[in-house]
Amino acid sequence: MGSRFRFVNVVLYGAVSLWSLFVLLPLVWMVIASSKTRREIFLDPLGLPAQFRLDAFERAWSVGMGTFLFNSAIITFFSVIVIVVVSGMAAYVLARSDNKWMQLVYLMIVAGFAVPVQAVLVPLFQMVSEAGMLNSRAAIVLPYAAYGVPFTTILFYAFFLDFPRELEEAARLDGCGRLQIFFRIILPLSGPAIASAAIFQAVFIWNEFVLALLMLTKPALKTLPVGILQLTGEFTADWPAIMAGLSIAVLPILLIFILAQKYFVRSLAGLGK
Amino acid sequence: MMTDAAKTSLTGDRGRSGAPRSAKSANAISTSVLLGPALLLCGVFIVVPAILAIFGSFFDFGITSQNWEFVGLGNYGRAASDPVFWIALRNNLIIVVGSIILQVGVGTILAAILDRGLPSGSTIFRTIIFAPMVVSSVAIAIIWLVILDPNVGALNAVIKQIGLTPPALGWLGDPNIAIWMILIIAMWQFTGFMMVLILAGLQGIPKELYEAASLDGARGLKAFWYITLPSIRNILIVAVLITTIGGFKVFDLIYATTQGGPANATQVLGTYIYQQAFNLGNMGYADAISVVLLLIAVALGWLQLQISRRA
Amino acid sequence: MPHLEIKNLVKKYGDFTAVKDVSFAVEQGEFVVMVGPSGCGKSTLLRSIAGLEEISSGEICINGRDISRDEPSDRGVAMVFQNYALYPHMTVRQNMGFALKIAGAPKREVNEAVERAAAILRIQEQLDKRPKALSGGQKQRVAIGRAITRSPDVFLFDEPLSNLDAALRSQMRIELGRLHTELGATMVYVTHDQTEAMTMASRIVVLHDGIIEQIGTPLDLYNEPHNRFVAGFLGSPRMNFIEARAEQSREGMVSVSAPGLDGSLRIKLKAGADAPAPGEKVTVGVRPEAFGEHDAGGWTIKGSIAVIESLGRETLVYLDGGQVRATDSESHEGYFAVHRTRQITARHGDGLTVTVDPNAVFLFGPDDETIAFPQSHHSIIHNQV
Repeated sequence: MGSRFRFVNVVLYGAVSLWSLFVLLPLVWMVIASSKTRREIFLDPLGLPAQFRLDAFERAWSVGMGTFLFNSAIITFFSVIVIVVVSGMAAYVLARSDNKWMQLVYLMIVAGFAVPVQAVLVPLFQMVSEAGMLNSRAAIVLPYAAYGVPFTTILFYAFFLDFPRELEEAARLDGCGRLQIFFRIILPLSGPAIASAAIFQAVFIWNEFVLALLMLTKPALKTLPVGILQLTGEFTADWPAIMAGLSIAVLPILLIFILAQKYFVRSLAGLGK
Repeated sequence: MMTDAAKTSLTGDRGRSGAPRSAKSANAISTSVLLGPALLLCGVFIVVPAILAIFGSFFDFGITSQNWEFVGLGNYGRAASDPVFWIALRNNLIIVVGSIILQVGVGTILAAILDRGLPSGSTIFRTIIFAPMVVSSVAIAIIWLVILDPNVGALNAVIKQIGLTPPALGWLGDPNIAIWMILIIAMWQFTGFMMVLILAGLQGIPKELYEAASLDGARGLKAFWYITLPSIRNILIVAVLITTIGGFKVFDLIYATTQGGPANATQVLGTYIYQQAFNLGNMGYADAISVVLLLIAVALGWLQLQISRRA
Repeated sequence: MPHLEIKNLVKKYGDFTAVKDVSFAVEQGEFVVMVGPSGCGKSTLLRSIAGLEEISSGEICINGRDISRDEPSDRGVAMVFQNYALYPHMTVRQNMGFALKIAGAPKREVNEAVERAAAILRIQEQLDKRPKALSGGQKQRVAIGRAITRSPDVFLFDEPLSNLDAALRSQMRIELGRLHTELGATMVYVTHDQTEAMTMASRIVVLHDGIIEQIGTPLDLYNEPHNRFVAGFLGSPRMNFIEARAEQSREGMVSVSAPGLDGSLRIKLKAGADAPAPGEKVTVGVRPEAFGEHDAGGWTIKGSIAVIESLGRETLVYLDGGQVRATDSESHEGYFAVHRTRQITARHGDGLTVTVDPNAVFLFGPDDETIAFPQSHHSIIHNQV
């Protein structure tokens, strides 16, 4: 029994280690390649660089990685705030109403969750461009928020359904109106749900590509995903610079993820519910 | 026991003076304040575009052109006889089926190992395997683009070192291989997500169930088959549906690697819509393909809702 | 003028009527307990008074003012919830002062009210803790303290003790009794537990299927229940019911007989009660403590002990009467509950004979209305000692 147990363990460890390696190697290779010279990467794609150098990072940074990072950060920040507040308010009203119309509204919002951006790309682009909202950081926050609202509303709706009614009733007896109940009782106690929703949407918006590609065409406004795609055009054969640009884009979010992995995992696993 | 001040402030003057306070209208106002923004956002950016897509699919028009020519179901007829449309749809299906087998399959196995198979270290493995999920698809696409590059790519270097010959046209340049490479990249990216999803389900299975099963003689693989799998049936269905929806929505990965090429070999509905609309200017035709994608997505979404409700 | 008056209150949920035309009045300083099985409408009634449910019709008046359309906070009521409903993100002090703060009372005043309430409940030490750090009993004190801070006209309690363990529950019962005397406040209390009703109430309102079955002091209800439902609901273990048939009746006396029991009981009808016609179905009710040991000219039940519960100073015996069975009994097996105020050393299966004194029973007519009460409650008690 003992030796068999150890053998099974070795096999299981082997399996997950192999997969972990498969996941890690491309990322490790990206970092290594970014500190090579163009010549080194061409002659020996697998080898380590003769000397650790950062000039590829300088070249990549000079294209405007800083701007891309900044754009992504503020667009993500404001989109997430809008999504959380708007969805929270809507979910609260919907979760506390047994009115038939309200249930219909909730179903409509749920249906909205099923609509993929790709399927409405053409009219969405036309509308935004007609409204003169192309190339505006503020303007892209709105469609981002709109596409984040359905899922977040579903998430909050479930949370509010489980929220103890008696607390709200106590607050009514204490003199709170509905808005006061929401902002003084419900919101302060929704921390976990808010964190989950915020992380989920932040990851999604930080990485969103197609809307950003269509709506933010000025170099000064581009976000990270669009910006790094531009790298491949900018540095046709400068692979180290491309890999350096990718490292700049990828490593910070990976670092944040590793530090807060528990919350990320919990948040994204919520999709299964 | 009662301070007069407190009493007045609590019972209020409203009630006493008999002035009727319209609780209903206050309620209606707070309802619109709370619900309005969500409805406005979803209405303007989801509902209206969806309706416009259906509307536009009956017309021929360009990006900037003001002439809309009514063509009825012409755009749909065009799609039916357009081989590229069918290639795109087929590729979506390849990605859906392949991803279900690879991502959900491997994800389930990895989740089962992490849940009960390892005495320690499962958090580290979970963190590593899940990590690609937080990285943008574009970044992942470019990393793999370089890895698969015929000249500087790591994969060719490894293949050559073993003594084999890599494909002459390159991994992503060969129309027969490219779509399978896309499948592998997608697997690299999303298997961790599936694993975490399923792991959450596994951790919800009460320990007593396994203890009872082991008293009944079911351990190891038998326990997995008779206890674990039936217990996470619903989660597995949801995982399959999420993967299916994702398979139809795929865009970033292909746009950033092959742009649908070579020779439309990796074209999918998403990239084809983009190409028709923004490269070729066939907005109406793009709308018609969009409507097909929309119908598929809404049907799948409805299915997912039904199943998660039952869960 | 009554302090709190409910007039013709009706509450409907769609087709279902939870409260059917209920009226009663509560005087200043009374402790009224509304009691009844689950689904009887007692909580709905309480929540209607609080303003948490919109009533379908009727009036709720406090101090003569109709408050039935007012916002909950404008009604001058405070409520203590079953699950305490303390705000987890606020300290005890903030919890207790929240209503006054929302009403815009100055800080100093809020603080004074909180301190005063905390002193009454002896929770001054807990004021700066969060609810999470408190035990169940302490949480309940804070919940009561929150109500006191508001200085309401009427206190409402919704099963406040049901989340506490047995020992704490009886402690809190005493505490609530003390509070009621100390504050002299009007309190309306909802429970499904007849012990709480019996021990704390100045008057009990028994509700059943949305209507009031009876209102009265605990002993009134115990001694002179209007009908079989009230008789069965108050008292633990519950009253034993024996299905019987009326025989002839004469001069305010009725004879009843039951299958399996020899002889008939001659029971004195209460004044004004209609005698049942011969052959009509009636029910004889015997409190567990009313079973005698010596033949008193009534029935004799010979049986064996099914279950014996020795509680030290008292003993409960569940008697298997063979063919004679109690209907609607506590044990669901048709055993008779027999209460003795002394220790009995007997075992399962041992024989036991009890007697039914016709002067010590209740009689319920065909419509379950009470038509006869025991002759003297005191004499029953003395007989048993």
